[in-house]
Amino acid sequence: MISTLTAADSGEGDDVKNSDNLSIEKIQEALKKEKYIADRALATVVYLSIAMGKPLLLEGEAGVGKTEVAKVLAEIMGSRLIRLQCYEGLDANTALYEWNYPKQMLRIKLEEVTAGDRTAVETEIFSPEYLVKRPLLEAIQSEGSVAPVLLIDEIDRADMEFEAFLLEVLSDFQITIPELGTIRARVRPYVVLTSNRTREIHDALKRRCLYHWIDYPSFEKEHEIVAAKFPAMRGRLADQICAFMQQVRQMNFYKRPGVAETLDWASALLALNRDELDEETVKETVGCVFKYREDLNHVEEQLAAKKIDLDGTAKAGAQPA
Amino acid sequence: MDITDELIAKTVDRFAPHGGRGTVTNILAFSRVLKELGVKIGLSQVIDSNRSLHYVNVGSRGDFRAALRSNLLTDKEQIPIFDRAFDLFWRARQDAEPNAPSDIPLPPDDADIEDGSEAESNDQVLAEFAGAETGRDGETEPIALPTYSPGESLSKKDFSDLGIEESRAISRAILLIATKIATQMSRRKKRANNGQQIDARWTMRKSLKYGGEVVELVKRKRRIKKTRVVLLCDVSGSMDCYSRFLIQFMYGLQNELWGVETFVFSTSLSRITHLIRTKEIAGALERISHSVVGWSGGTNIGRSLATFNRDFAPSLVTHRTVVVIISDGWDRGDVSLLEHEMQSIKRRCYKILWLNPLLASENYEPLCKGMQAALPYLDLFLSVNNLNSLVALGRTLQRMVA
Repeated sequence: MISTLTAADSGEGDDVKNSDNLSIEKIQEALKKEKYIADRALATVVYLSIAMGKPLLLEGEAGVGKTEVAKVLAEIMGSRLIRLQCYEGLDANTALYEWNYPKQMLRIKLEEVTAGDRTAVETEIFSPEYLVKRPLLEAIQSEGSVAPVLLIDEIDRADMEFEAFLLEVLSDFQITIPELGTIRARVRPYVVLTSNRTREIHDALKRRCLYHWIDYPSFEKEHEIVAAKFPAMRGRLADQICAFMQQVRQMNFYKRPGVAETLDWASALLALNRDELDEETVKETVGCVFKYREDLNHVEEQLAAKKIDLDGTAKAGAQPA
Repeated sequence: MDITDELIAKTVDRFAPHGGRGTVTNILAFSRVLKELGVKIGLSQVIDSNRSLHYVNVGSRGDFRAALRSNLLTDKEQIPIFDRAFDLFWRARQDAEPNAPSDIPLPPDDADIEDGSEAESNDQVLAEFAGAETGRDGETEPIALPTYSPGESLSKKDFSDLGIEESRAISRAILLIATKIATQMSRRKKRANNGQQIDARWTMRKSLKYGGEVVELVKRKRRIKKTRVVLLCDVSGSMDCYSRFLIQFMYGLQNELWGVETFVFSTSLSRITHLIRTKEIAGALERISHSVVGWSGGTNIGRSLATFNRDFAPSLVTHRTVVVIISDGWDRGDVSLLEHEMQSIKRRCYKILWLNPLLASENYEPLCKGMQAALPYLDLFLSVNNLNSLVALGRTLQRMVA
């Protein structure tokens, strides 16, 4: 059954780890096993990304589970997750590699005392031992036969220049260090990029990726997510939580709550041993869902005006536009 | 222009005959349809789409759609267009090929994939396609093709009933503008871990603690100057239909940027910075309408600017300040006063931007006297009336600041 892929030869019996044996169904199942409820379209895209070796670009509002996809992917592929969190001013030094200057400096000083061979020292201090590996280099240089999952999180926060640089790395999966030579990836990492759309990402980068937009989940899907994460939840609580979230996402809040907030809230309610939502409970715990004072005021007004139905019956038509 | 179902249907009809000979040609024809509808697609994406079909069961419509969508699209806003075009196109294909077992074209033969002859024939088709495309560009270009963008429908919409999605789109555009305005590279340097240059002085200084040994290299990079923005908004009667949008703009800019001062003027000037420093727009609206005198009244730009120059400019406007004036330029006051005040702002600030909602209409020329008087002092004269113009503004600022 084990086919030609070297990944499978290394004793990994699990089908999932061999991309020849993968299928959309298996991906979906594996995601579910890791408590990630994905619709078929997402599973298809994840599968294509693995099969085609094309990076996956996930966009969506905050807290819909973009980053989680990469984590779960690493889990089901049985590989390491290497994460590069982007921020403004992120540059090649922090993303790729850096020489360990203090260590080099100390080494030179040491050599001065013992009066060693100059050229030998020079080659030595530019050897891998003195190299500080950053995420991208680590992903490319990764040992072992199973490709790591490289998560480039919130790419929209990084600068344009960094995007251009990333383009280069992602197309060749090789890095040239002047002192050491070119390092080529032995196994192509699986790449997942996420973006919150705070700015437009350059087309050139987008075109090299498989694009998928993760929307807020439907009532049914969110319910499934809550049930998967909190099997201990009793009564109508899950219904009520999800119905509440569906409703508030239709309203105009400064920050609309994502799935992450739903799960936070659910775990808070569980910890408080509640098995039903009433206005009092919502007021006590709604801080899990809304994080701005204005939003908290707004939700209280809405509750007072009975604009939010707490019964958990208002499931219908609750899909965000 | 909004994308209508008829338009999609017409485009599909136009390109459907180009397909029909196999998967590759079908995908090419389909991507042509999308391109006509304003979705940017590169040839590599078409090739990848074709490649991806080897991995999914093309008999399953959902998987087929997901595969094409993930390869061909690069933006959320394109999804509705794609879905509608997809439904029409692949139904059209079925009509054209009555022999086809399903409404999905047949996958390429496995044999072809193995020996690479498929790749060759694909290349041929793609080359033809690329050739045909350059040839066709000449004839299609003069026709005003509708381009799709999330803002198109906004231009026709009354701004008073902006939906959540739309006001979010506006917020995003404003955020882009805000960051562009706010970044100005300084000549001066500051110490920074991720700097490019070595800060020799601080490296020496730090080495003292190791007995004169250089252990830590201190680096530095260019400072980012924080630009201040002063926003002057015309809220007179002639600007009424834009006021919803203006407030959204003021509110967005104020909340995204540090150091924004906001004023509104009609016959007189009021400072509303403190009124909109909140995250909740509805309440801000109410507070403004309570406290601003002369909302929807007449216009005296000159006098308002004079008040600004006398009372506020000395402390607010410096060589780092960008002054943004939003007005249609219809002025009932003294034109020479306006000119004089513009001149004095110009002397004091870094850049003056004038955003004129009327500029968007094709026949508009800045003929009214007020506008004429102000023009020579402007660094930038732009239209701002809908989401598209905001996006364009963001791009212009990017060039200007860079």
